[in-house]
Amino acid sequence: MSAAMNSRDSVPALELVGLSKRFGGLSACDRVSFAVPDGSLTAVIGPNGAGKTTIFNLVTGLYPADDGAVRLYGEPILGFPLGRIARLGLIRTFQSARIYPGMTVLENLLAGAHLRVRASAIAEMLWLPSARREERSLAAKGEALLELVGLTAWRDAPATDLPMGGQKLLEVARALMAGPRVLLLDEPAAGLNDAETAELAALLRAIRDAGVTLMVVEHNMSLVMGVADQVIVLDAGSVVTSGSPRAIQQDRRVIEAYVGQEDLDLAGSAP
Amino acid sequence: MNEAIQIVIGGLLQGSVFAVLALGFSLVFRVTGVINLAQGAFCILGALLMYSFQVALGWPTLPAALAATLGTAAFGFAIGRTIFVPALPRLPVSSMLVMTAGMLTLVEGVLLVVWGSQPYATPPFSGEAPVSIWGVLVPTQGFWIAGIAALAIAALWWLLQRTDLGMALRACAENRVAARLMGIDVARMTLVSFVLAATIAGIGGIAVGPITSLEFDTGRYFTNFGFISVAIGGLGTFMGSVVGGLGLGVAEQLAAGYVSSLFANGLALGLLLVVLLWRPNGLFAGGPARRSDVRDEQRVYRAIVRIDGRGGTIFGAIFLAALIVLPWLLPPGSLLDSLVITGILFIGVLGLDVLMGFAGQVSLGQSGFLAIGGYTAAILATNYDLPPLLGVAAGIALSLLCAFLLSLVTTRLRGHYLALATLTFGLLVDSLTVGLTETTGGPSGLVGIPSFSVAGYAFATPISMYYLVLGIIVVLILALLGAMRSSFGRALKAVRTDQTAAAALGVDVRRHKTAALAISAVLASLAGSLYAFQFHFLSPEMVATPRSFEMIAMLVAGGEGTLIGPLFGVALLTLLPTLFQPLAVYKTFGEGLLLVLCFMWLPEGMFGAAAAWLARRFGASRPPIQGSTSQGAAS
Repeated sequence: MSAAMNSRDSVPALELVGLSKRFGGLSACDRVSFAVPDGSLTAVIGPNGAGKTTIFNLVTGLYPADDGAVRLYGEPILGFPLGRIARLGLIRTFQSARIYPGMTVLENLLAGAHLRVRASAIAEMLWLPSARREERSLAAKGEALLELVGLTAWRDAPATDLPMGGQKLLEVARALMAGPRVLLLDEPAAGLNDAETAELAALLRAIRDAGVTLMVVEHNMSLVMGVADQVIVLDAGSVVTSGSPRAIQQDRRVIEAYVGQEDLDLAGSAP
Repeated sequence: MNEAIQIVIGGLLQGSVFAVLALGFSLVFRVTGVINLAQGAFCILGALLMYSFQVALGWPTLPAALAATLGTAAFGFAIGRTIFVPALPRLPVSSMLVMTAGMLTLVEGVLLVVWGSQPYATPPFSGEAPVSIWGVLVPTQGFWIAGIAALAIAALWWLLQRTDLGMALRACAENRVAARLMGIDVARMTLVSFVLAATIAGIGGIAVGPITSLEFDTGRYFTNFGFISVAIGGLGTFMGSVVGGLGLGVAEQLAAGYVSSLFANGLALGLLLVVLLWRPNGLFAGGPARRSDVRDEQRVYRAIVRIDGRGGTIFGAIFLAALIVLPWLLPPGSLLDSLVITGILFIGVLGLDVLMGFAGQVSLGQSGFLAIGGYTAAILATNYDLPPLLGVAAGIALSLLCAFLLSLVTTRLRGHYLALATLTFGLLVDSLTVGLTETTGGPSGLVGIPSFSVAGYAFATPISMYYLVLGIIVVLILALLGAMRSSFGRALKAVRTDQTAAAALGVDVRRHKTAALAISAVLASLAGSLYAFQFHFLSPEMVATPRSFEMIAMLVAGGEGTLIGPLFGVALLTLLPTLFQPLAVYKTFGEGLLLVLCFMWLPEGMFGAAAAWLARRFGASRPPIQGSTSQGAAS
């Protein structure tokens, strides 16, 4: 809460208050509270099993929460189904890239634009000029995004032909096609090599600079420390601490909680 | 009071056979995650083999029963070994469901070729005279049925719980991957479960034969009721299958006894829908949850065929021109009627393509919408002299209402349930078309249906009907092409492949599933109406459940998810039997075989394969792999 750094707006883009979820005897998420300031890039880090993906699933309505509240620009959204939350402008990606097989790369992108399409199915059936125009402008937008993520050469290839790194990038681009206000990325760097991770970092900055608020769950420390405005550290389902990347790197509790030993290089300069 | 007890006993007897079938469903489902629709056909196979050994060859009851059981097991082994086991790792679960529908058609085709289409009855095991217990008459066969069913159930329980084989089967049911890692031959266990299920279905058939009218296609009723039993009881649970089977048997007999036998199918559908709404996992929920709502395309190799705009326009224009001049090239009066029927059925299959090929939802009940469209239009035009166009519209409205009611329940549930709810819906409409004699003319059909006409112009000649149907098809193809290439079509495909990802991007999954079902209902209803106007006659078997399976075979053979492809499947299965009349008896068999073969070897269908070949031959080559993304972890 004290971490609302580069936001002048008093209403955070996303706010979690006392969010809790138990799976049997295991507390996957225990009274988690933090805010994602509008226009920021917030990273959520923590060891395996800390509850990072659970938080994503609770926020986006994939699991029902036991307790707590989630607010999107001040509006409560907890308990809404996935689709309704997406329609409110909160778009997420998945840990294992869930691209649509059976579609080409470009079609995958265009499928992401579903929320932005104005033309009705009836207008599409009648080939109304307005619907055709919209379809053309979508395709142009899609090609621009392909350019941005460097997949132009793959435009008409089956999406499943993409290597893992390409599929992750395609999923991020597809989420952007939806025109999100807040974008939740679940381990976007998993399965990417170093060169691809560097490209991803540039892409994340570009997305934030375009005005989209980002919340990223990530394991890759160099990526997180390089791009995040705010870092939330989770362990065993609770927030350990939060703050700027610099502050986090120097926090003893983080070092202990996250790596369990003291002399580890959290800056992640060389793996 | 006596009458009620009599009916309940009859229901328990009927139900014990459902329970045996339900156990077969459960067993195969637990081990493989697949609903095996061919189950009911093995039931009839056992009974007809029994007839051949006992009546035709004059063997004593016991050897005949043993031989019939062995025969069913051997046939089950052959089908399992050559089709089911090889298909399992290749096809996604929902395609496997359609595949088993193909197996059902295939086995029915074999039964038709061997035994013909007349009904058979086997003699009771121990005489006709019923036994009187406290004033209630029980046919002696009842004791045999109950005893054999109980024995089969007990034997299966013992096998699963007390033997090493049972342990291995249960291990596969819990976790196939882990079972494989433990050194269990999963393919062999799949075969074992399949053959076991076929065998006990056969035994059930042998026992119930004397009190059932056996026809080559009676099996689908057993499939349907066996499945509903297991859905009510809880898929994959032993107790659920038994209780569900007995309960459904009693409920069905009570409905038939006190209301009308017409009501039995309606009751079954109602029970299924209520249980699914109230307790989606059945009364005895249990067993591992399996994802079967998505088509899981990763496991399917299907070439992505995209014809670019110019190529498509040229191809379409040439093809349309050929279809326009075609009637003038044919010898007069020969094939034109068959071409019109091809076109009419294609309209129905086009709807199924939107539902199955694009949205990935399986319907086994399109014949129900055909019948609603056909009978509504025909009755309004014939008995009430209303304009045909109004009849068509009324049929569509009624079909839409049914589709909406079905979707209320099924869109919330997994794909299997839509398939089975639509199958039950189709069978319900079947029994209504036969049973509501005063309105539909009953089994002998409705005669004197006028020609289709619009504003005084009657499409009375084959050639006018041909151009009418062609015109409708062109309009429909253009409309669907527009929609399927745009946002709506992409959303349907997204729902087919990954519902969660689609919802995360704002696609309203339920609405799109409902819309796809509605489109398929409208087109099937339209096709049914045109069908009635074309023949000037409509009888129940023209729009009965076998049509649903035929339409699926046409769709899969032509090419799912390609709008024009199904036309080739429809043409193949409509024109071939017309051209080679003596082969008509092999039609059912051929449909089943075609469906199975296409799923195994040609998943993109004839048109899809041809288009893919053309694209490879003349299209642009694959893009080179880009440096920066080439080294990601292997996917």
